[in-house]
Amino acid sequence: MKLKHIEVFSKDEIQEIHSASIQLLTDVGMKIDAQDARNLLKENGAEVDTESKFVKFPEALIQEKLKKVPDHFKLHGPDGHFNFEINTKDTVFATIGTPVKIYDPLQKKGIRKTLFSDTIQQIKIVDSLENILCSHIDVWPNDISYITIHVHCIYQWAKNTKKPYGLGCLGKLASTDMMKMTSMIVGGEEELIKRPRLVGFMNPTSPLHLPLIMTNGFAVFTKYKQPTIIAPEALAGSSAPVTLAGLLTQTNAEILGSIVLSQIYNSGAPVFYGTVSHITDMRTGNSAMGSPEMGLITAGIAQLARYYNIPSRGPGGGTDSKVLDMQNGIERLQTLMLAAQAGVNYITCAGTYEATLVEALELLVIDDELAGMVQRAVEGINVNEDTIGLDVIKKVTTSEKKGVNFLAERHTRDHMKSELYFPKLLDRSRRTTWYKKGAKDIITRAREKVDQILQAHKPNELPEDLDSKLLNFIKNVESRTFDDYKKAEGLRVSKITLPDGIEIKEDDK
Amino acid sequence: MSIEDEMRQFVEEWDKEGLKAMCKSLIDKGEASPEELLKFIGNIMKFIGEQFENEEIFLPDLIGAADTVKDTIDEILDPAIRKSGGKKETLGKVIIGTVESDVHSIGKDLVGSFLFANGFEVFNLGVEVTADEFISKAEEVGAQVIGLSSLLTMSMDFQRQVIEELINRGLRDKYIVIVGGAPTSEDWAEKIGADGWADDAIEAVELINNLITK
Repeated sequence: MKLKHIEVFSKDEIQEIHSASIQLLTDVGMKIDAQDARNLLKENGAEVDTESKFVKFPEALIQEKLKKVPDHFKLHGPDGHFNFEINTKDTVFATIGTPVKIYDPLQKKGIRKTLFSDTIQQIKIVDSLENILCSHIDVWPNDISYITIHVHCIYQWAKNTKKPYGLGCLGKLASTDMMKMTSMIVGGEEELIKRPRLVGFMNPTSPLHLPLIMTNGFAVFTKYKQPTIIAPEALAGSSAPVTLAGLLTQTNAEILGSIVLSQIYNSGAPVFYGTVSHITDMRTGNSAMGSPEMGLITAGIAQLARYYNIPSRGPGGGTDSKVLDMQNGIERLQTLMLAAQAGVNYITCAGTYEATLVEALELLVIDDELAGMVQRAVEGINVNEDTIGLDVIKKVTTSEKKGVNFLAERHTRDHMKSELYFPKLLDRSRRTTWYKKGAKDIITRAREKVDQILQAHKPNELPEDLDSKLLNFIKNVESRTFDDYKKAEGLRVSKITLPDGIEIKEDDK
Repeated sequence: MSIEDEMRQFVEEWDKEGLKAMCKSLIDKGEASPEELLKFIGNIMKFIGEQFENEEIFLPDLIGAADTVKDTIDEILDPAIRKSGGKKETLGKVIIGTVESDVHSIGKDLVGSFLFANGFEVFNLGVEVTADEFISKAEEVGAQVIGLSSLLTMSMDFQRQVIEELINRGLRDKYIVIVGGAPTSEDWAEKIGADGWADDAIEAVELINNLITK
């Protein structure tokens, strides 16, 4: 049977958390910046305080909308051939993280600022990996104006991968651009809605706040039925109670409130019940992503998602290490394994370290290997007459021929590929062979694989007219001013800070 | 489809009986000589060996193929060649076995399969083989190489005893003696006066190739 899921709550405890979250939503509600969202909620029976912008959700509304959320959906690559299902039972692996620095051993500090060329390389590598099925806009292109990043990324996605793509719900204007541009690539809006290509990323701000820009983008993604990841990044002890039960109660309310809004926007729109929550380190005030508590929070989220029958998303492979060292390895495997054992359906953050702020393409290919190993582990042990193999045991044991073992048995040949994981980067050779091959450690071997992939990667052939249409679209977006962007989002301030610490100033255009 | 291609299919399918029947029928009808068929088998095993080295196939695929052709060679081709008074050409004859007091066989069997797949004639004497058994068999078949395996620190010393027995009988220079097994090392091989040491089966093939052509 498959490995049993780690469960962190008893049935009663999950009910207790659910009830407490409902109480939060009915008594306190959520602060929702977007006026149109507040209006829609009001039309659906929510109680809105215009001054404080708090919206209280009636329990009946929550229950009614939860019933509309799909428990499975598919994600497709640009041409629609490559696809996979997201459901509440299986686990798939993806990236996400928004690193702003990248591993570069030639630099004094071992890292440098990420550039658009890195973003493109990341897309190409994920395209070539076996176990990582989707890339998101991970590697932040510091050399591109903030308000045009999404169109440049979508263009490179269409050119360089067969897999789906993820982007943040970066406001009404940018998200509409994403839908328009992707519709051109896939052959129309209807096709895009029918067979989703993009995953949206929506972070409620803890505690209990839906920020304006993200909510604006969320509305567009759900309108086009592109799956959105609703994932609060609450930190135990600073933006949520230090108690993990308290954090999970609060974030559960944040997710449920967001889900209600998504189903009001568009009934049946697919969402992920997600998390990136972890803890505050009580010595430094820093967030600690490699902590065992993050694994527990992720496990709690997976169990809550199963309770609501919605696919879950959680981080795996998180680490606070600043280098590619043992801490990096220990924390990444611990968080990845816990997420998989907890039954998270969409495990993200491959390729990142230093709390997802830094990317290493080497880690991306290593994470592909880890994902394969972890996937194998959670499959558990398959027991039936054939796998028990009484006949082959008898045959080998009683053979009178010299040199008979299980290696040359058909049973071995027939079952080895389904029973055993075949590592690609891990070295299992004897010392002499390893030495002859250059005595390379895993980072060196991973670098070589990265180089091989990049060298062999072939871009997709875009039809000429589509290519020029897309380039034209990018040109139009580039001609916008920052004021256009602010007006579209209903912003009135001259300087704001977006999630992930990205600051927008007037001079960004 | 050529004879060789058809034979390769049987080998890849591990169809021992099919391969035997095909070779027997070809020889009986005079459509191919056993020497020719042996050459085809050599080509097929070389092809499979290359696939293994390129990591396209796995250990069981290689060992199973070797196991399949071994039956045909032992039961059909060898007797036919002997009958016609011909001589079988191989890269060399290698005696292998696990030394006295040690019952571990798989590592040594792997070495045997790899050597066989690479064109050597292999005499696998099994486990707990005494010095006398190693030497007698080598003398009997006219071997060039004696391979001594040991997986236990406790049994390692029996590797030395085989070499000492060869010296006692005045036969030490007649044979290339190689040793292997998890606790052994290059230093150990040197210490007991062996001609070489290999870390795994792939290394062993290379080692013997080098020593034989010296």
